[in-house]
Amino acid sequence: MRRFVLTRLGQAALLLLGASIIGFALMHLAPGGPMAVYTLNPTVSAQDIERIKHVFGLDQPVYVQYAKWATGMATLDWGNSFFGGRPVLGLVLERLPATLLLMGTAMALALVAGVTVGVAAAVRRNRAFDYVTATLALLAMSLPTFWLGLLAIFIFAQVLGWAPAGGMTEVGAGGTLDLSRHLVLPMLVLTAVLVAQWSRYTRSAMIDVLNQDYMRTARAKGLGPARVLLGYGLRSALVPLVTLGGLQLPMLFGGALVTETVFAWPGMGALFVQSLDSRDYPVLMAILMLTAVLVVGGNLLADILSALIDPRIRAAHA
Amino acid sequence: MADLDTRTGIPIDRRAVLAGAVAATTLGAIGARPAVAASGVLIDAFTQEAVNFNPLLYVNTGCETAVEYAVFDTLWQLDPQGAFKPNLATEIPSVANGGISADGRTWTVKLRPDVKWHDGQPFTAADVVFTHKVLLDPKVVARSRNGLDHIATIEAVDDHTVKMTLKDDFAPGLVAWQKTSIIPKHVLEHEADINVAPFNSNPIGTGPFVFKTRVAGDRIEFSANPNYHGGAPKLATLVQKFVPDQQTLFAQLQTGQVDIFDVIQGIPPQLAQRARSLPGVKVPMTAQPFVEFIYFNCGKPQFSDKRVRQALLMAVDKKSWAEAVYYGLPAPTLSYLPPSHWAYNSALKDPGHDPQKAAALLDAAGWTAGPDGVRAKDGVRLSFTMSTTAGNKSREQAQQIVQQGWKKIGVDMAIKNMPASVVWGDYTVKSQFDTLMVAWDPLLYPDPDYTDRIHSKLIPAKGGSGSNYVQYENPEIDMLCAKGLATIGNEARLPIYHRIQEILLDDVPFAPIFEFVVPVGVRDRVGGYVVNPYTPCNSWNLAEWTVT
Repeated sequence: MRRFVLTRLGQAALLLLGASIIGFALMHLAPGGPMAVYTLNPTVSAQDIERIKHVFGLDQPVYVQYAKWATGMATLDWGNSFFGGRPVLGLVLERLPATLLLMGTAMALALVAGVTVGVAAAVRRNRAFDYVTATLALLAMSLPTFWLGLLAIFIFAQVLGWAPAGGMTEVGAGGTLDLSRHLVLPMLVLTAVLVAQWSRYTRSAMIDVLNQDYMRTARAKGLGPARVLLGYGLRSALVPLVTLGGLQLPMLFGGALVTETVFAWPGMGALFVQSLDSRDYPVLMAILMLTAVLVVGGNLLADILSALIDPRIRAAHA
Repeated sequence: MADLDTRTGIPIDRRAVLAGAVAATTLGAIGARPAVAASGVLIDAFTQEAVNFNPLLYVNTGCETAVEYAVFDTLWQLDPQGAFKPNLATEIPSVANGGISADGRTWTVKLRPDVKWHDGQPFTAADVVFTHKVLLDPKVVARSRNGLDHIATIEAVDDHTVKMTLKDDFAPGLVAWQKTSIIPKHVLEHEADINVAPFNSNPIGTGPFVFKTRVAGDRIEFSANPNYHGGAPKLATLVQKFVPDQQTLFAQLQTGQVDIFDVIQGIPPQLAQRARSLPGVKVPMTAQPFVEFIYFNCGKPQFSDKRVRQALLMAVDKKSWAEAVYYGLPAPTLSYLPPSHWAYNSALKDPGHDPQKAAALLDAAGWTAGPDGVRAKDGVRLSFTMSTTAGNKSREQAQQIVQQGWKKIGVDMAIKNMPASVVWGDYTVKSQFDTLMVAWDPLLYPDPDYTDRIHSKLIPAKGGSGSNYVQYENPEIDMLCAKGLATIGNEARLPIYHRIQEILLDDVPFAPIFEFVVPVGVRDRVGGYVVNPYTPCNSWNLAEWTVT
């Protein structure tokens, strides 16, 4: 097991180096760049643009720029934003709590609701409940989130007036109540999408398990239906779900690009969209690297957890 | 939700309590005169986020300009009539009052002696000299030098007098300083790198509002500066709110979560009518200095003959463009200046929308229809692309109107839109485009000088350092531009700029379509919000703003 973890960690480091090189290269190969924001500003002349490019080092070859960035990263210097001049690390950290709150609550809610619905749908396979939840899940996954978000704002904020139309806190209000009122709509929109995923995965994993011989054996031994379903069934169905959780981990920190923008939720997703619009390279690289670490880490974690849950996987690595 | 006023959706009591508390603490701390206490919280919302509060460094016109106007001051301002009004200076220098020498090259500016920075330090002539020095520092990423590079020497004669000499004749000098907010020397002089100074996110100015806090990705809060030299603000707390999505912001205006849906984009044209029907909301129109153009790349063979450009302009249905896409809001113009500008040449004659004449003009120029219906001449087809920012719905519709108009006269235009960071990069600057749909205003607006965009020596694609992206070359224009810059006084300059506009309308290196006029949403509780077409946002008179 230890060797397995160590090998995977070594691979992860190489992966991250590769991701940084590819990410940096792609960003600079893509047409356009941070200077477009300056071009669009009518008070900025072409002379100004050349001067600013030079100060940012954007007039140097890409490999020189990468070397500079990588040297900085090696000493944990993430650089400064092109547009605010502020340290990138600070920019990212100040957005993290908002994203953790939104994604954390949405994912927790989705996990509980999704697994419950999935188990129930598997047990009542091909009956009314299964069909209804399958349709709803399909809808939630197919409808674009920006549309769902705007619909929620229209109904619950503009027509009914039950919740605020975006933002995280009201000026001068503060407190948990205020925060919760703002959290409800974006959280529900995200939860709808996530529940759809969790319930479908849980359902198919459970159906696989329900047909297994050991389930029949458990029932034949005289165990109660709840014990059979949760203790034997769900436990065995957990492996694919743990993988799904590992894949979703980057979202927990990376935030939701569309939902955060629609609801003016000041999280990482919104920061990424803003930085992408202006091609703020240092901020984009920071978010890219953070996401890469989480993808690699999430997968690693999922593998380790799967091995812990499932003795067969453990045996394969032994 | 019982504690909510259903009309506004905002907990009124808390807000009022907060406003009172803020007013009390600010006044208490500074011990100001017990005049009429500032009161209320006003929420001014933008679809872009202000991230850099250094007035020389930021690049987002609109939201960041609003922060600049709240915290900082300039030597003089422009009022909504376009007249200069003294601010940090005691008067506007002129030849008549001795502030400007007879040859226009030596300026003496007298400063107010009673101005204090937000940290209590006195404002002096040294701050003005320092601001100029920072602006010209090659290591500083100032977005623009605002024309202050025409200054040869600048010195503080005493604490309240600045004297400067100009390198050359430079008429837009007053506008140059009107665009330059003064920054504090005592705070910044020891900064190793001003580009990353803490000051940029925690600014100290002399303006009507003091920067208080910033909640990243959400809002910035300011409190009234009771010692403001222009008179204490009437509003206790000003909040600049960031809501990235226009639809969401519109909803927030409706529910009363925000008080103003502000420029730079303003309310989308398709929602303007609905905004007017909202109870408790006024929708003033903000004329913006941006003129919408079709840019022709005169360096490409399709556009080298001015008759082609004239024909293309005549084949565009400008009326449908303004009405079908922008609901008739924009003001049509025939020049790079808006029609309300003092230098606008009202004698210009609109070539009009005339497809027949356009076709005849192309025939005369030797562009005849090929077998596929597209005109060609000497092996060059009259076929090209038009680019603008992808995803801009209004512009996409406008492009289709233009495309149809051109198709009727045998011109094939393909729409090739790209993300902003692509289309406005080298693609524009290095003149790689065929045509563009774009809005710009003069570099030192409202000065009518347009040298940067039309002088033949300022084409970046040919090694020039200007913004003549259309690659336009005309010796008479070059001469007139120089003459306009060297002539002092609006009356003397008027004939020069009238002639420039006349030539440009005949040569059509770019086709001016209209001046953008955008609706902003202002709730009835707001007072003092006055549209100013000479500033990029309407926050020019923040000290006068009120809420009830």
